[in-house]
Parts: sequence; C-alpha cells; structure tokens
Amino acid sequence: MPVTVQTPVEKWNGAVREVTLGATKADGGTRGRTVTVGGSATLPFLHFEGAIPNRPVIAIQVQDIDPLDWSPTLRSAWGDVTKDVLKWAAKAVDLGADIIALNLRSAHPDSGNRGPEEIAETVKSVLGAVDLPLIIYGPGVPEKDNEVLVRAAEVAAGERVAIGLCEQNNYRTIVAACLANGHVAIARAPIDVNIQKQINILMSDMGLPLDRILMDPTTGALGYGLEYSFSVMERLRLSALQGDGMTQMPTICTIGDEAWRAKEAKVSQGVPEVWGDFAKRGVVWETITATTLLNAGADILVLRHPQAVENVRKAIDQLIA
Amino acid sequence: MSDLGVKAKRDGQCIIVFKPSGKIIEVEQGTLLLDAARRAGVEVITPCGGFGRCGRCKVQVEMGEVARRQSAHLTQAEIDKGSALACMTVVKGDAIVYVEPKEKVKLAPPLETAAEKIALPIACEWQRNPRIRKYYLEVEPPTLADATNDLDRLRRELKLQHGVEKVSVSLPVVKNLATALRQDGWKVTTALEYDGDDQQARLIGVLSGDRSSTSWGVAVDIGTTTVVVYLVDLLTSKVVDAATAYNGQINAGDDVISRIIYSQRGDGLAQLQGMVVKTINDLLIELGGRNRVKLPEINEMVVAGNTTMTHLFLGINAKYIREEPYVPVTTHPPVVRAAELGVRINHEAGVYAFPSVGSYVGGDIVAGVLSSAMFQTDKLTLFIDVGTNGEIVLGSADWLMTCACSAGPAFEGAGVRDGMRAIPGAIEEIWINTESFEPTYRVMGNLPPQGICGSGLLSALAELFVSGVIDKGGRIRRELGTPRVRVGEHGAEYVVAWASETQDEHDIVLTEADINNLIRAKAAIYAGFSVLVNSVGLTMADVEQIYIAGGFGRHINIEKAIQIGLLPDMPWDRFKYLGNTSALGAYTALVCQDMRSVADEIAAKMTYLELSADNSFMNEYTSALFLPHTDMTAFPTVADLLENTREKLVLTRGSSVV
Amino acid sequence: MALSGLEIYKLLPKTNCKECGQPTCLAFAMKLAAKGAELSACPHVSEESKAALESAGAPPIRLVAIGSGDQKFEVGNETVMYRHEKTFYHQPGILVRVKDTQAADAVVVTVQQVQNYSVERVGINITLNGIAVENASGNAQTFAKCVELVRSKTDMPLVLMSQDPAAMEAALAAAGDSQPLIYSATAENWEAMAGLAKKFKAPLAVYAADGLGGLANLTDQITKAGVADLVLDPSAANVNSTLASLVQVRRHALRKNFRPLGYPVITFPSRLASTTEEETVIAAQHIARYSGVVVLDNFDPTLIYPLLTLRQNIYTDPQKPIQVKPDIYTFGDPGDKSPLLITTNFSLTYFTVAGEIEASGIPTWLLIADSEGMSVLTAWAAGKFDAEKIAKTVKTSGIADKIGHRKLVLPGFVAGMSGEVEEELPGWKIAVGPREAVDISPYLKGVWSPD
Repeated sequence: MPVTVQTPVEKWNGAVREVTLGATKADGGTRGRTVTVGGSATLPFLHFEGAIPNRPVIAIQVQDIDPLDWSPTLRSAWGDVTKDVLKWAAKAVDLGADIIALNLRSAHPDSGNRGPEEIAETVKSVLGAVDLPLIIYGPGVPEKDNEVLVRAAEVAAGERVAIGLCEQNNYRTIVAACLANGHVAIARAPIDVNIQKQINILMSDMGLPLDRILMDPTTGALGYGLEYSFSVMERLRLSALQGDGMTQMPTICTIGDEAWRAKEAKVSQGVPEVWGDFAKRGVVWETITATTLLNAGADILVLRHPQAVENVRKAIDQLIA
Repeated sequence: MSDLGVKAKRDGQCIIVFKPSGKIIEVEQGTLLLDAARRAGVEVITPCGGFGRCGRCKVQVEMGEVARRQSAHLTQAEIDKGSALACMTVVKGDAIVYVEPKEKVKLAPPLETAAEKIALPIACEWQRNPRIRKYYLEVEPPTLADATNDLDRLRRELKLQHGVEKVSVSLPVVKNLATALRQDGWKVTTALEYDGDDQQARLIGVLSGDRSSTSWGVAVDIGTTTVVVYLVDLLTSKVVDAATAYNGQINAGDDVISRIIYSQRGDGLAQLQGMVVKTINDLLIELGGRNRVKLPEINEMVVAGNTTMTHLFLGINAKYIREEPYVPVTTHPPVVRAAELGVRINHEAGVYAFPSVGSYVGGDIVAGVLSSAMFQTDKLTLFIDVGTNGEIVLGSADWLMTCACSAGPAFEGAGVRDGMRAIPGAIEEIWINTESFEPTYRVMGNLPPQGICGSGLLSALAELFVSGVIDKGGRIRRELGTPRVRVGEHGAEYVVAWASETQDEHDIVLTEADINNLIRAKAAIYAGFSVLVNSVGLTMADVEQIYIAGGFGRHINIEKAIQIGLLPDMPWDRFKYLGNTSALGAYTALVCQDMRSVADEIAAKMTYLELSADNSFMNEYTSALFLPHTDMTAFPTVADLLENTREKLVLTRGSSVV
Repeated sequence: MALSGLEIYKLLPKTNCKECGQPTCLAFAMKLAAKGAELSACPHVSEESKAALESAGAPPIRLVAIGSGDQKFEVGNETVMYRHEKTFYHQPGILVRVKDTQAADAVVVTVQQVQNYSVERVGINITLNGIAVENASGNAQTFAKCVELVRSKTDMPLVLMSQDPAAMEAALAAAGDSQPLIYSATAENWEAMAGLAKKFKAPLAVYAADGLGGLANLTDQITKAGVADLVLDPSAANVNSTLASLVQVRRHALRKNFRPLGYPVITFPSRLASTTEEETVIAAQHIARYSGVVVLDNFDPTLIYPLLTLRQNIYTDPQKPIQVKPDIYTFGDPGDKSPLLITTNFSLTYFTVAGEIEASGIPTWLLIADSEGMSVLTAWAAGKFDAEKIAKTVKTSGIADKIGHRKLVLPGFVAGMSGEVEEELPGWKIAVGPREAVDISPYLKGVWSPD
C-alpha cells in the first residue's frame, strides 16, 4: 500500500504586522513611493503555509560624512560619491535601493560633532534629492542622538521616516519625536528576545502605534555571533506567529555595519591564505550574513556594498518567486 | 608609646584605642583593624564578610599610623580625613580609632505569631513513641549490707519500678550521679532518651527530687539572617514560648558564600560556630528566664537550617559547598550531645539536625516540606521560601523537585539605600496617589520612619509601578512634575519621606538603582519557580496550590507581590501563608520522633535541579526583569488593573500618561 | 514522540534506589528525557516500561555514517526544528564534486585542494568533508577509473553519483571498502541500487522526481528490501520550493514521527544556481535549513571559508556558555606602560569589556582568566576566579615580559580580593577597576596610571 504524505502545515494565530515607510503627497509627504514591509503569516518563505504579502527590502546605507575608516573594498566600489551624501544617495537610488538609510555620523563627537541645525539641513537636502523613503540613524551616542534626531524628525515631519535607534536606556525622547512628527521608530535590543519585547512594550506604552515600530534585534555578523541573531530572530518570528502582539513588528538588520567590521572584511594582510581573495571576501561576508538572516525573518536589510545589494536582491527574487 | 597613656608594651606591638567605647587592645603590628576591634569587643559590621566589597565597616582613624588597601569605597577626600575600611586596613603603630555605633543587631525582630497560636502543623502520633521519657524514682539508700554502687542501684530501681531493662550511660552523667542521688534523700528524676528502640534507653540526666511533671525541648531554626527558638513542653507537645534574634554571624557576612569564605580564614570556622551558638544560648537564657525553665532541664534539641548554616553550627568544614561540584560533607549529620557544641542545655541532650538534600537545598527546606504536608497531598503544590536564598519545591505525594535561586537580600532591606530590617521605625507599607504621586505610609511601632523594610519595599515597588511613577522597565519618569521625583547624587530617585518627617532627618528615597535591585530579586524567584515547573514539562496553570514560607512570608502582600511579578497571577485562594516552616518542621520532629524518618524520606525523594546548569534560567530571568513580566498574558489581572488605572487617569486628567 | 521527564518517571519503579547513579528516579527520568542517560542503567525497570520507553526513544531522524575510517562523518539524529530549542547535533558534510569527464590532472588538483583545505576558527580546525564523483561520461569503466584515481589520492568520504547500477557497481568496487554514499536510488533503479547498498554496506541516497510522496514510497520499499541507512534528496525545481521540501521533510520526521522521511538530507546547490556566488548563497541557506550533505560544484577558498564559518556558527550549541580562550588580548597597540586589566572568559563578559576598552581608544592589555565560562561574580562565588587563579593566570600568561610596570586592575566586583592577590603576586600592585563595564573608559582615561 503506498504511503500517503500530506503537506505538514502549522497553524498560526498571528502574523507580522505591516509597517509602511515613506509618505507620498496623498499622505502628506513628498516621497515618490512608499515601502510596506512585514505582513508574513508564516515562517520566512514558506509559501505553502501562509501569505507573504510583502517581499523583504534593501536599504542602502549612506553617511553624511566621508567614511574614511571604511574598508578599501567599499571605498573603491563607491568611488567619489561618498564625499557628498546627496550624490551618494542618488547613486544608491540608481543601484535599486528600496530605502535610503542615512547615517548622521557627522554628529558624532569624534567625527565633526555637528549640531542639530546643521543636521537639519542635511536631512532636508537628502529629502529633496531622493524620493525614496528614508531611515535616519543618529550617531549612536545617546545625548547626541536625542539632540539631532529630534531636529531631524521635525524637519522630516510628515515623511514617515524610520528613526533609530531606541534602546532600553534611551528611548523616550526619540519616541516622543516620532509621535509628534508621524514617524516610525526603530527599537534596538542586544540580541535578546525578552529585552526586544520589553523595549517594544515600553515604546508602545508611550502611545506609539504598533504599526510605527520596527525592531532591530542586533545583527551579529557571520563568524561573530550570527547564530545568536539567527536564533533570536527565529524566536521572535515564532512568537509573532503564535499571536504575541509585542513581537509582531517587522525586523530590520544592520548587515553592513556588522559584516564590514569583521576581520575578514577589514584586513587584507597577515591573514591565512585559505581565507581567499580579499577583494571578494568582504562582499561574500556581507552577502552571507544578509541571506542567512533573511531566512531567519529579516524584513529590511541595511547593506553597504553595491555587489552585496545585487547578490541579496537575487536571493530575495529566488525566495519570493 | 606613652602618649596614649597606657602601660608599657612589648616590641612590635601596637596599642589601639577605640572610641567612643574607650576599649583598648594591644595587638601585633600588621594586625587587621577589624580583627583588633573584634578582639577588643568592639562591634564592626561587615555585611560582605570583611572583604572590602560593601564599604560598611568604615571607621575613622583619629590618630596614629595605618596602611590601607585600595578600595572603591573610599574617596581620596575621605582618606585625607582619616576614613578607613576596618577590613582593609592594618595597624602600623599605636592609634585611636572611632567606630560609629551601628544599628543594634541584637534588637529582636518581632515574632509573627504569639507562641500559644503555634500548633503542630501536621497530624502525627506524637505520644506513641516519645523520645524523652522521665521517671521519678525513690531509691533505697545503700547500706553495708546492700553496698551496690550508685549506678547499678539506679539501674535496679529503673527496672523494678519502671521495667526499664537496658540503660546505657555516659561519663558526665556518672560524674554527677552521686550528688544528684544524695541531694534530696535518694529521690531523683531520670531523663531517658529512646532512639526508636523501646528496649534500649540512654540515661541523659539525673535530677534530684521529682521533676517528672515537666519535660522540655527546643526547636531551632537557624536562618542565615535570623535565628528562632521555640520552647516546647514535650509532655503536652505545646510551644510555650518563642524568641528570635539575628544570627550573630551576620557580622561575618550577609550571605552564605561570604560566611563560607570567612570560615576558611584562620579559626574562622570556630568563630562562626561560636557566634551562632552564642545567639542560641542568649535566646535560651531569655526563654528560660521568662518561663522559669532551668536550661539543664531541656533534654532535646532539633535544629533546621540551610546546609551551610548546619555545617557551621556543627563546626563542619563548609568549603566544598561553594566549590564545584558543590558537595557538602554530609547531608545527614549525626546526633551530637549539646555539650560538644557548647549549647547550654542539658549537656547530654541530643541535638538533631535536619537532613539536607544537597549544598543548596538544606534541612530548613526539608523541614519546610515536612511541616507544609506537601509530601502527603495529591495536589500539585509549589512551595516558595522567600529569603536571601529563595528555595523552591514543586510536587506532591508522588514526587518532589527543588531548586534554589540567589535572590539577594533586597527584600530583607539590604542592598537598598534606605532599606532596613523589619524593626520599629521601618516603613512597612506604602500607598501612592495615582494623581498627585504623593505617598502615604505606615511605620512599624508608629514611630517617625527611619528607613524601609522588605514589605515596605515590595509595596513601594508595586505602587510606583501602578501609579506610573516608574515604567515597566523600572525607570523613574522624570517628567511627572512632582517634587517627589528628582535627580539625586545616584541618579533619579523618588522621595518617600521628607527629612522633616523622619527620625534622623534625612530624606528617605528609592533610587533607580534600588528599584533595579528589587526587580532583580523578584525576577530571580519568579524565574526559579518558572524553570522548576517547566523542567518537568508542566506549566504554572497546572499548579493547584502555592505555599509561601520564610521570614518574609509573614509580611507578604499577595496582591502587590503579584502586581510586581514576584508571584504568579493566580486566584488568591490558591496561596497560603505558612510562616516559618523551618521552625515548624523542627518543632514537629522534636515532639514526634517518627517524623525524623519521614524527613529522611523527604530528603531522599527530593530531586534537585541546578539552575545554573539549566539554560532556560537566564531566559526566564531576563523575561522576569520587567514589571510585572515581559509576558503580559501571564498576568491578566495586572493587565486589567493597568488598563483601568489608565482609563481613570484619562478621565480625571484628560490625558493619558505619556 | 519524545516523552517528558515526568512521563518517563511514571514508567520507572519510583524506588529512589540510586543504583543508576542518580539521586532519585525523577532525576534519572529527566536525564533520560534529555538523552543524558541510558535506560539500561536502571536495574529494576519492568519489561513493559522498557518496551514503551524504547519505542518512544528511537531517533526520529536516522543517524547515517558516510565514509569509513578517521574521516567518516555522521549526519542525522537531529531532534529539533530550531536550534534554540536544544541544538543541532551533526553538522552537514560539505563536499566538492568532480566529474569523470574531467582530465585526470584537474580531478587530482581538486581532490588535493579539498583534502588540504583547513582553517582555524576560534581554536577549532574546520575542514571540508569529501569528494563527490559524478558519472558524467555515462561510461561505467570511466567512472570506476575516476573513482579509483580519487580513492588513490584521498581517504575522505565519497559520494558516487550515477543512476546506472552497473556503473555504480564498478565504482563501488573501485572505492573499496569505504562506505561511500550511493547517489542515487530512483523509482526506476531502486531494486538494483538497494542490492548494491547491501552488498557494499554503503549508505544509499534516494531521489524521487514526484516530490515527497514519491520519496516516502521509495524509502518505504527500500527499507523493506533491507537497507536502513538512507539519505534523502528532496530537491525541487527552484530555490523556494527546495526550501519548502527541506522544511517539510524535517517536520514530517520530528512533528509527525513519520519514519519514511526520517532520514538526513543531501542537497546540490549548484542545480539551483547560475553562478558560483549564487551557489554559495544557496549552499548557505541549506546549511542553515537542515541539509546533512551539501555538494558544491566549485572549490574557491573565498567562498568555502564563509560556508564553513556559517556551519560552525549554526551548529554551535546555544545551551553552552560561550567561552573565549584564556589569553592576553590587546587593544590598540599597547606598550610597556599601557594598562593591564583582567577579567573572566565568559564570552559576554569578554565582549562587553572588550567593547568598552575599544571605545575608550586607550591601548590596553586585557588578560582573560579561565573561569570556565562564568561571569565575574558567579566565578568568584564558585571559587573559579579567586586570588590563586588570578595569580596563576598572570604568571603563566607571560604578560610580565610584555609590560614595564607591575600593576594589575581587578574588576570592581571583586575588589575584596585585592589583598589576597597582592599576597599571591609579590611585587605587583593591585588596583581596583570599575564594577560596571561602562565605567571602563572613564577609568582608563582618568584614573589609571602605571605608578
């Protein structure tokens, strides 16, 4: 008697929440289009089980100050545009970015320490130069983040940009700025399911609607904690599908930041020969970090290298087909 | 050196004068200031065990030379002014040292229940096989015709008058025999101890006259912090009185680890044994005096304590309790005679210590399980002993699982800026107005407040949370616009009482750091029982009843404990307070010796779960580091309460709390 | 289905006799549930209980060995869908394919590259696992010759790829007694292939063109024919349907205890890729999603290295505290006057401290003591980070030869040990650092001096 096999489908009670970035004229902004992420009612790419209404998207990272410390692989790939954030953003658009991730690095005390007014000008001009939705990251120093992101949020009012990062010890100012100006806030936790959920709850307790929160569970690069991120993201997705509203935010991963920090991507001299070709290595490192986390549930991938963008987009095409 | 006005001293010796007591001691150069103080009989409190971790042993060197080891607890300015940590400073020459008199640790905490209300917690046939039996004898005096020796004469009469066949005896009793027989004209009362065998008695006391109408025993709970003694009438099985005091070992460290480390230093073990024995003796003297009981007439003692306390009380090396693989010297200590320990009851009285399960689940918990009767019930029962070490037992008649988690002393008032023990002057309950954020509090003894004790801290945390002064992560919201919230030296803080209201005119506050400490303590306990329940494949919903025990248990407010997520959100009727189950267990085994084999069975049956080896613990712990918990669905009544509070506030304030 | 500790306990004698080495029957039951003990350790278990426990205990995914000798690898025996639930146990073999149509030189070059590839990561040497030889020529002799050539160059496990039983038999003979994986049995050839698997005691990979139903029917027939060590090829037409198959096979095995699909899986990422980079990306997905044998078409160290790293990451036991190697770590370019700090080897402790030192920008020496993966206070409480251990770490590390001063900074939480450490380390000054890592930067910048 032949064995019969039924497709093993799991029943889920919840789905990832849809979050829209960017506002067009109709919605009171000036973006040419919006990007909606999330919505999955199944584990990543299991089309046989549930709806996957939105494909994962790629944000290309640009900085408002020339990143002299970036790997030569990255610098040569981008060329001169890194000197001018507007040109850089425009090239990122040409490369097919879904979102521009603007890092306000120049506000960092070690990299120029620009103040809120200068930053406001930068944000305004980037908004004027590209019409994609924006993610705006502060310099990562709590006091400066609060100072410049509040101004950034004000000048971008109505554009529904994503603003980060909100952390457990510093979220109130940024959330208030997002509330006041109609933006989306990014909740960052240190690779920990519980802390991620806690920051999500704290932000929502301030009155921020759940469809205006993205979660960033912290990315570990390949070889540097990738497995932790992988498992934390799987757990968050499972919890979301099981119906926990406080883990149903779409996930954003800062792949480029982490992958290019790895020794493999940064160091060309004095490393084992078996590591292979330095010029290719960083790109592969960023690509594999991204595609692995894609399979763990990433909705937005923030990338740096044009070739990695190309590779990851192809991977998404194949998985979504 | 004659400038101190003291007699000439030997070379290499230094003379230290302690103020304000004026006590003087001569010590070798290089002696630790702490040791010098101890030897001089000057009390210096060292909650960390004298290892420079807590900074509480700060003293002033007013004159003379000392050498300090570097410590994070002393600023240069303080050093310039002469401050020194007694445990980190050695004497280099003669010196005058001022030691601030500290909170009197001898002050007894209040007893939870009047002694007459203490009843045998479980049914047992205590009269069936009494361990101590007293017989009155009228002995024929010896004559030239009947020159039988005293002891054989006594034996003969015991056999003739009471049918006692075999009696063993030890030297101390023999030494005392001649006097006892002759003191009251050959009328004596013998105390015999039966170790389960009706045919075999041990003669442990001979008193002149008829003393058979009374028979005394004591049950002792040796806690890391508190010692409790019950004086028990063995003829009626009633507790006639109880007394408690802080464990004298507190000065050697707040927690068991610090005590173990202390025990490894020089004659530290003997010192610690001496400290706790002294505490017990002091309590015995107090009980004896109050109840007109002569201590030598107390013929039996049962002790329950955690494994470390039991080791230290018996003078057993506790070193390996702390070191992997965490093995105690014994889980079933032998019965010893009171004289061997220096306990001042009948020298020959047996002292029985409860068996333990392992290094971190001790006789106190076995006694707790015994007295709670959870080993007899069919209902799945969770037993939580909230203390510095939170011990948890899950199970029923069928099986028992147990674990221990380190909650820290926050709920006992330690490690919190204005925390204090539960003594008069302590704020024991707090209410905070959800609109004005103004507090109301109740103080033990109706005095002006001095600090906040464990129950006060628990209620403060719940009230701060529910009223919205702090967020679910425990952070104080600085934008509330009340003077009660301010940023102090140590970050944000909430003022519970203004200086003008207090005993010593300082603001009583709760800092964000205090709040985090309390959250960590409650999270450890919640995570402990969550992991325990999950480890056997069950969920909290399967738990049918929850017993709460421990010194903290007498104050615990279930409603608020649930609000902060210390206890699971379950119907209140599933919770039951048991009080001090360790003392109750000791009392049970004192009056009913059959219960000792039951205790052995319980200890053998308890399966210990090592939380540090269980990987879900960290996850559960982090999850519990939130108010009430990261998983809000586990706390539906708290969710409702928050929702209602919020709605009410929207109505009254016209805006939500943001 | 796996039983819980309590369910197993109900089947045990409940005597707490301790003869199994556990303190109680419940402790033993929990060990059994966690697969940390063998039922045979209990001398008193009833026959009934034994039968019930054994059937519940059979692994839902069969453990299959590929190859023989030192280099053989085992796959299968997995128990969870997600690594956080427990861990993934048997990491996939990663092999590189050669074809019998390639020139002998080229084959030998690839074989040697694969054989010699070895790279150290976090103290562990990671390597490739073997060679797949494909009968692209369609000729049995050519195939056998190529296998013979490969076998003469390496003892690594082999996968022999041919649908032709005659060619397979010749290749198996050439491979000697080395238990290569036979790829593959299909609806057309399974009887012959099953015969070969039995004859050569080799594991057999099974492929069905008509999906998991076909695959299950085939394995059912093959096991009835007496071959137990099977490997499944569930690959489908494209990347996402292959992913679906991989997930479904695992679910059938673990969630439904469905024996016909309870085997490890083999995948060929190149079949779904058009470039080598794509092959790598797909291979990475298969490593993370349940593949037991991954056969690559190309050997390129730049692409192999990330895959081996990923495999190591994914198969790291998430239950174990991650430790860093006790050693001297440097930040910036520390000199003989740079500060020297010490802490424990719990990875989170290390990374937190390292991050703060890095952020301070002050060149610093950091000494890591072997505290068996415990954090500072836990290690202190357990006696794994005491004065003796610290002194030993300082003495054996050789740090004294690298620095000019003799000052060691202890974590603030163990300030109390400074005296003892001074006694253990004559000539050293012991300073007390901050309790929290966030204060390291101000400490290094403002407080520290070598004097």
